[in-house]
Amino acid sequence: MVTNREQPNDNTSPNNTQTAVEQPTTKNSKFFLTHLAYLKTCIQRQPWGDYLKSLALIGLVTLLGQPLSPFVDHANLVMLYLLAEVIAATRFGLGPSIVAAIASVTAFNFFFIMPHFTFAIEEAQHLLTFSGLLIVGLVISTLTARIRQQAKTAQRREAQASASYHFSRSLAEAVGLEAIVQATISHIKQVFDREVLILLPKEAELSLQTLTPDSMLDELEYTVANWVFQSGRPAGRGTQIYAAANLRYHPLKTARGVVGVLGIKPPSTSGRLSPEQQQLLEVFTSQTAVAVERNQLARQAQQNQLLLEKEKLQTALLNSISHDLRTPLASITGVLSSLYEDEAYLDAATRHELVESACEEAERMNRLVANLLDMSRLQAGSMKVEREPGDVQDLVGVALAELHHKLQGRPVTVNIPIGLPLIPFDFVLMSRVLINLLDNAHKYSPAGRPIEIRAHLAGTTVEIEVADRGPGIPPDEVEQVFEKFYRVQRADGVSGTGLGLSICKGIVEGHGGRIWAHNRPGGGAIITLALPLYQPETAQAEMTS
Amino acid sequence: MSESRESGPRVLIIDDERAIRRFLRASLTAHGYTVFEAISGQEGLKAVITHRPDLIILDLGLPDIAGLKVLRQLREWSQTPIIILSVQEQEADKIAALDAGANDYLTKPFGIGELMARLRVALRHATQPTDQPVFSSGELSVDLARRLVTVAGQEIQLTPTEYDLLKLFITHAGKVLTHQQILRQVWGVGYANELHLLRVNISNLRHKIESDPTRPRYLLTEPGVGYRLRTDV
Repeated sequence: MVTNREQPNDNTSPNNTQTAVEQPTTKNSKFFLTHLAYLKTCIQRQPWGDYLKSLALIGLVTLLGQPLSPFVDHANLVMLYLLAEVIAATRFGLGPSIVAAIASVTAFNFFFIMPHFTFAIEEAQHLLTFSGLLIVGLVISTLTARIRQQAKTAQRREAQASASYHFSRSLAEAVGLEAIVQATISHIKQVFDREVLILLPKEAELSLQTLTPDSMLDELEYTVANWVFQSGRPAGRGTQIYAAANLRYHPLKTARGVVGVLGIKPPSTSGRLSPEQQQLLEVFTSQTAVAVERNQLARQAQQNQLLLEKEKLQTALLNSISHDLRTPLASITGVLSSLYEDEAYLDAATRHELVESACEEAERMNRLVANLLDMSRLQAGSMKVEREPGDVQDLVGVALAELHHKLQGRPVTVNIPIGLPLIPFDFVLMSRVLINLLDNAHKYSPAGRPIEIRAHLAGTTVEIEVADRGPGIPPDEVEQVFEKFYRVQRADGVSGTGLGLSICKGIVEGHGGRIWAHNRPGGGAIITLALPLYQPETAQAEMTS
Repeated sequence: MSESRESGPRVLIIDDERAIRRFLRASLTAHGYTVFEAISGQEGLKAVITHRPDLIILDLGLPDIAGLKVLRQLREWSQTPIIILSVQEQEADKIAALDAGANDYLTKPFGIGELMARLRVALRHATQPTDQPVFSSGELSVDLARRLVTVAGQEIQLTPTEYDLLKLFITHAGKVLTHQQILRQVWGVGYANELHLLRVNISNLRHKIESDPTRPRYLLTEPGVGYRLRTDV
C-alpha cells in the first residue's frame, strides 16, 4: 500500500529502528515490516482531535444531505461524501481520512439507503456504490498522505543539504586543525544537540582535541576510540562492539584511510537520531575527515617545502664554505708558505705586500664567517633583536671603521643631518647590515668611484641610503637581490656568497623596517633601508627567515 | 706585585687553544714580556698564585669553568689587570666580564697591534693611576686642572656633562667603558639604563672634538659594549 522508501520516524518505540537498520533479515519481511510500521507511525502520530474532526465532517455532510435527499440522486450524494473525504485526507492526514472513508460508507448506508436507519441493504447495486465510495476514499487517503510525506521528505532533504552546505562552508573557512575541530564540534552541537569529541593521531597515539574539563576520557573510551581508528568501523555505545562504552565512535574516513575518530556523547534530553539525521551525521563525519586530511596534507607539504629549503640552504652553505672560505685560505696559506720557505729571496717590499694581502684575506674570511653565522641564526629564528636608542652617525662610523682598510683610496661621502633623532635599533646587528651594504657597494663598483651614505627623516622612519656608481642592478632583478644566494650575474667574477643582502633584509625586517634597491640616475645602485622612529608595538623579539 | 727588572712584565695566558697560546707567547716574548701559560680555568687560578703575573689574558670560552667564573673568583682577592678574549657574538658576555672587573677585551680574531695597545693601557692603569693634569692625544688636549679643552690649539666650549664625560674617558684613557659604567659615573646610579642620554652627549662631544664625527679619531665606539678614548692617535 505504501511504497516509498522512507524509514520509520523518530517517535517510534525505541526498539524498532535500530534493529530494522542494523539487522537485515530477509528482504521481503523487512519490506513488509517497514511498511506496516510506517502505517502504524502515521496513524499513531495523528492527534485524537483530527479523528474527531473528520468524524464531525462526515456528520455535517450527513446533516446537509438529509434535506437534499428527496431531490438529489444517491449517486450524487456520494459526491458530497467524497468531497468530505478529500478534505479529511488533505487536512487531517492518513488515519483520520481512513476513518472518514469508513464513516462515510456507514453513514451513507444508515441514513440514505433503504431501509433507512438500518445497515441492511435492499438493492445489490448499492453494494457497488459502497465499495466505490470506500475504495476511492482509501485511495485518496493514501495518495494524499504520500504527497504530504514526500513534501516533508523534500523539506527535510533540503534542510539536510543546507546544513551540509553550511557545515562544509565553515570547514572551508576554518584555518588550522584547531578551527576545523571547533567548527565540527559547534556544528554538530547545533544541528543534532549532541556533544562530540574529536580524537586525532599525535605521534602514533590518539589524542583528544577538545580540551574542555568534562571531556576527559577514561581508558576504556581510549581503547574503543583506538579500535575504531585501527579498524575504520564505528563502535561503542549503541553498536555491537564495545557497547559498554559511554560514547559512540565513528571513524573519520577518507579515501586514503582513517584520519581520526569522532566520539558522540549520549544525548541528555533529546531522543534518538532519525535515519535522516544519522545520514546527515555521516555526511558531517566524512566532511570533517576530508577537512582534517586536507589540513594534514597541507602541513606535510609545508614541511616538505621547509625541508627542501633547508636542504638547498645546506648545499649552498657547503658550496659557500668550500669555495668562499677556501679562496682566502688559499692565499693566506700561499703567503705564509712563501714567507716560510722563500724568505731569503723576498725583499722587504714584497714581504710587506704579501703579508698585507694575507691580512686582507683573513679579514674577508672573518666577515664571511660572520655572515654565515648570521644567516644560520636568521634561518633558525634564533637571532634576537635588542633595540636601544642609537645614533645613525655612530652606526655609520662603526661600519666605516670596520672596513677602514678595504675602503682606503675610495672616496666615501657621508651626509647625515645634525639633529637626526636617535632611533631604536640593535647596534651590533645594524652595524652588520651597514658593513654588508658598504662591502657590496665597494665590491660592485670600480675602484675610485665614490660611495655615498645618506640618512634623513622620512615620515615616521629614518632612511639610510648607501649609493654607489657601479653598473647598477638589472631592473628586473631589484627584488631578487635580497633573496638568499642570489647574485647578479657578472662577467668580471666578483666573488661573494649572495648572503649579504638577504641577511640585511632579515635584520632590517626584524626591526620592523624595510629595505629595497633601485638604480640611480646617472648610473649605480642605491640600497635604502627605512627604520621606524618608534619601537613597533608588537616588538618581534625573534626573527624568522 | 712582583716586578722582575731583568725580564719585562709577567703575562699569564689562560686559554685552552694551543694555536692562540703559541701565537701569543711568540709575539709577547718578542715584545719583551715574560709569558706563562695555563690551559684551563683551574690551572689558571693556581698559576695566578704561583707565578704572580702583572697581567692576565683570559679566554672566555674555557673547557672546565666558564671564563666569567674564573674572572669573578680572581677578582675576589686580586686586582691584577685582566684582558678578556672572546668572539664577536658574545657582546653580553663581554659586558658581563667588564662589569665583573675585567680591564678590557679583545675580539677574536685580533691583530698583535691591538693586543699590545690593550696590554700597555692595562699595565699603565695598574701601575700608575692617571693623575697627570694634562691629557693629550693627537690634536686634542685637555688640561684637567684648568678645565680647558683645546683641539689644534683652539679652545672648545663643553657643557658640564660633556666635560664630565670627557674627563671620565681621560681617567680611563685607552680602556673600554661600558654604557652602564659611563652612565653610572657621569649621571648617577639611577641613570644606568638611560642610554639615549649617553648617545646624545657622545654625539655632541664628537661634533666638538672630532674633525669628522663620522670617522671619530678619539672617541671610539665599541659596538654593543661601550666607548673607548684612544690614546695613540
